[in-house]
Amino acid sequence: MAITERVEKIRQNYVNTKPHISYERAWSWTKSFQRTEGQPHIVRTAQAFKDTCEELSVNIWEGELVVGTSGEYRKCAILTPEFGWLWINDEIDTFPERGQDPYDVTPEQTEFIRKNIFPYWKGKSIEEAFLARTSEATKKIGVDTGFLDTDSKWRNGIGEISADYIDVLLPKGYGGIKAEAVDHIAALDEAIPEEKQKIDFYKSIILIADGMITLGRRYSAKAAEMAQNEPDPVRKTELEEISAICAKIPENAPESFREAIQFVWFVQLGGIISENPLAWNPGRFDQYMYPYYKHDLDEGTIDYDKALELVECLWLKYSEWAWTISKNTASFFAGYTNFENLTIGGTKVDGTDATNDISFMAIQATRECMTHQPTLSCRIHPDCPPEFMAAVTELVSTGCGFPAIHGDRTGYQMLSNLGYEPKDARDWNNCGCVVPHSRKTFEWTSAASISFAAALEFALNEGKSRLSGELVSLPEKDPRTFTSLEEIIEAWKKQFRYLVRHGVISLVTAQEIHKEIGHRPFMSACNEYCLKNGKDLVDGGAKYNIGPVFTGVGLSVTANSLAVIKKLVFEEGTATMADIIDALNDNWEGHESLRAKALACPKYGNDNDYVDSIARDLADFFYDEVTGYNDLYGNHFVTAFMGISNYLPTGKVLGATPEGRYAKDPINEGVSPYTGSDTSTCLAALRSAAKMNHDMHSGGTLLNLRLNHDLVATRRGRANLGAMLQSYFALGGFHVQFNTISNEVLKDAQKNPDKYRSLLVRVAGYSAQFTNLSREMQDSIMARNAHEEF
Amino acid sequence: MSVKGYIMQLQPFSVNDGDGIRTTIFMAGCPLRCKWCSNPEGFTRAEKIGWYKRKCIGCGMCTEVCPENIGIDMNPEREKCIACGKCADICPQNARMQLVSYVDADYVISEIHKHRLFYSYSGGGVTFSGGEATGQPEFLDYLTENLYEMGYSLDIESSGYFDMDKVYRSLERMDLIFMDIKHMDPCKHLYYTGVDNAVILENISGLKHFAAEKVIRIPVIGGVNDDDENIRASAAFVHENLPGAKMELLPYHRFGIVKYEALGIPYDHPDFFTPSPARMEEMREIVRSEGIETADFR
Repeated sequence: MAITERVEKIRQNYVNTKPHISYERAWSWTKSFQRTEGQPHIVRTAQAFKDTCEELSVNIWEGELVVGTSGEYRKCAILTPEFGWLWINDEIDTFPERGQDPYDVTPEQTEFIRKNIFPYWKGKSIEEAFLARTSEATKKIGVDTGFLDTDSKWRNGIGEISADYIDVLLPKGYGGIKAEAVDHIAALDEAIPEEKQKIDFYKSIILIADGMITLGRRYSAKAAEMAQNEPDPVRKTELEEISAICAKIPENAPESFREAIQFVWFVQLGGIISENPLAWNPGRFDQYMYPYYKHDLDEGTIDYDKALELVECLWLKYSEWAWTISKNTASFFAGYTNFENLTIGGTKVDGTDATNDISFMAIQATRECMTHQPTLSCRIHPDCPPEFMAAVTELVSTGCGFPAIHGDRTGYQMLSNLGYEPKDARDWNNCGCVVPHSRKTFEWTSAASISFAAALEFALNEGKSRLSGELVSLPEKDPRTFTSLEEIIEAWKKQFRYLVRHGVISLVTAQEIHKEIGHRPFMSACNEYCLKNGKDLVDGGAKYNIGPVFTGVGLSVTANSLAVIKKLVFEEGTATMADIIDALNDNWEGHESLRAKALACPKYGNDNDYVDSIARDLADFFYDEVTGYNDLYGNHFVTAFMGISNYLPTGKVLGATPEGRYAKDPINEGVSPYTGSDTSTCLAALRSAAKMNHDMHSGGTLLNLRLNHDLVATRRGRANLGAMLQSYFALGGFHVQFNTISNEVLKDAQKNPDKYRSLLVRVAGYSAQFTNLSREMQDSIMARNAHEEF
Repeated sequence: MSVKGYIMQLQPFSVNDGDGIRTTIFMAGCPLRCKWCSNPEGFTRAEKIGWYKRKCIGCGMCTEVCPENIGIDMNPEREKCIACGKCADICPQNARMQLVSYVDADYVISEIHKHRLFYSYSGGGVTFSGGEATGQPEFLDYLTENLYEMGYSLDIESSGYFDMDKVYRSLERMDLIFMDIKHMDPCKHLYYTGVDNAVILENISGLKHFAAEKVIRIPVIGGVNDDDENIRASAAFVHENLPGAKMELLPYHRFGIVKYEALGIPYDHPDFFTPSPARMEEMREIVRSEGIETADFR
């Protein structure tokens, strides 16, 4: 069936409008906090949530079947000044015109926000607390540097939660959650300090539930009012249905597919209002939605097409909400992407195949809507049904970059290594871009971005930034005097340790602050064990508390650079350390012959152990070093090679690197080969990447490859792609994602953006509308090497 | 005891020469001289270096390592080249490439092993091609015997111009045999390929003794063999002499021109053209009307 007229209209609006800033949420939140001074922070947060739910604009937009918006605009971006407002104050005037992820905002709004909202938060935000507690040394290396960045944990809402629809939300509804909280309070003794805290927790849960119930009722009333005035009888009936559904849920457990879809969106909306979260994951959608679908099918009240339309309406809701982020953050997470990761496929807890009609429906919805959200992920197990693999590879062949494809067993292994019970590890879903995750978990999955290449720069430049000349890291000896590769690797390790150390300090500081003023009663209400234990997520209420994740950036650049030094300086003797350092200082100008030699050295991504083994050693060291530290909760830190778009900003701050890269050029993301350097076949690129011991890096690993579209244009070609995926997973790889759109098309899209508003492309770990990316991001996507030879 | 042979290239990730993901071994040396050949580096077994002018940035690193002092443009000095490969190793742009190498069969086998998982999951394996795959019978026998015993799926693409006795055992190990009929008219065949087609047609008939699946291919060169009569005659021949074989029609392409440039050989065939997709489909219909199933490995 083709996309319905209703969905197409909503879709057109989605691709053609810029998100608009709304301060409604921030204003309600601020007023509420002004009223609750002195109360426990968790209660204040929950009260602010409830007050916001009572005050927020209620709009049902044209043609909608699934309702609920975070403000007065259909494509809405909200503000959360309690996390950070300094950057908003600095940047809000440039929001409409900035290159990456602009938002509309009127001067009147800006004035209102500056006058009424920011002043209250002065000195109270998490951002300010972080900056106040952080030493100059840590700031120098780890605040807005591109060497080490942790600001997503102290400037924005956290997110990184997978809602527990299966054990908590869908079966209980917010009425059920509230009733249990009431019972808990009745059984607790306020005179026992620990129980007193639990009482505050459950009071907060009740406020959250009340807020959600209020939200549903307000939409119900709005729909009823609109139905009365609706001349079109068809729409009138739809509005009446919406009114009936919202009167029932989210207070009560949904009973039909449509009710469940609306329920899931209300939960998503609640999360958005509560903290404007990144990576607020719907999780294993096909698993929890299928029973409703099956029920309705059996009752004869739904068919595939009707269900698909509802799913597509939900996809558009996921996409209409825009994450509000700073210019700096937008350069890391380009394309309005909020990482609402929705997982399909894989195995059930009992080990049998989990794919069902909803898995296929999700793929079809993404193909038809071409929305950048949800971030569609699939799990592929060794006995994956060929029909599912065909659907997955067919979606890949459209070039939209979805789904992100993951090896089931590697994901399981990654969680097992963190101590998950088998039944929970088997039930993993994806978080954000490529993080194996669970609805039982509290984890900062994208906590620090740490640059391998920066550590190399410091090692080879006496601890100084090559671009600024400033000493930002530990002093090191004159690089011209290194006499062996081992000595250089030791120097790299010393610098890298320093980066890790300051990352740890930053993140533990951020954890302390969150424990004081970062309570998350809404998210805790989506977590089975928080509700059972009477503890907020920030107090360690979840079943699994996992240490914050460091994401390594620039692995291949660093390994390639060390291979060049090894070969040219210490093996062939065709260059000296001085030659290399001079060339880097001159950004290769006047050293073209040396650069040519450097480029001819073995490069990661070609299944060449000469360099791949260096990369693996660096990755293993990263694991050993990071997991040696414990966080505030006593859990060890975790490693990842994820791929947000961080390879651009982390490259911009670096001088030239020995493998031939020019200053400020991008580095590389995840375990991907450096752009253009995987010149063999994609099999070789997969084999190189698979050597990186993925199962250890429990925070996830990412591989981006470009494939020529012709390779996946036929069923045979797509079957071969499926075989490549299974082979990669058998080799131990975790995730791979493909861009298959030709550069001709992308160039045309740069020239004629209006023709290509809905063209989705793979960025890194996620997809975004190509025309929503800055020019430099577009160029960097085109520069990735396409594997096209047979 | 291992043997050595001349190969042009080992191409992992071949997806159009048989089922699944395959590694194709291009074996050098061919008795034919098809005027449209896209792999001219495989005419002879001589080790040789190519120079891809379009990729060359003129850095001159090749000249620094060349023991014969050959310049960047090697074409005027080709007779001096001893194909030592030093320039190909150093070239940062892969503008200098070793186009034919003399290698140990065990090296070939070790390279094939690398991608065994990909073959397993895709139902792929190894394809022998060329040049001409049958031109080095001992090398072929050694490779096919070992790879067969290791359980790999083996396919072969051949011109059909060979001595059947010398390659019989190798062909017995194949899962799929591709052979070409370039023209049914012996005179035209001789004119365009340099050899008579009698041996080829006889070998095609002889394939009926093998268990392998058979696909007879026609490289359809516009202006040479794309007339209805020739296509029909080819199909009729297959129908009569090799029952059960399929046929695949492949349109002419000019991707090989860069290799002619790299070797300094002229390629001057403006009269050859690529039949339109519609015309290709018409010809496939003719084949089917002769009772032959068409195959498609795209």
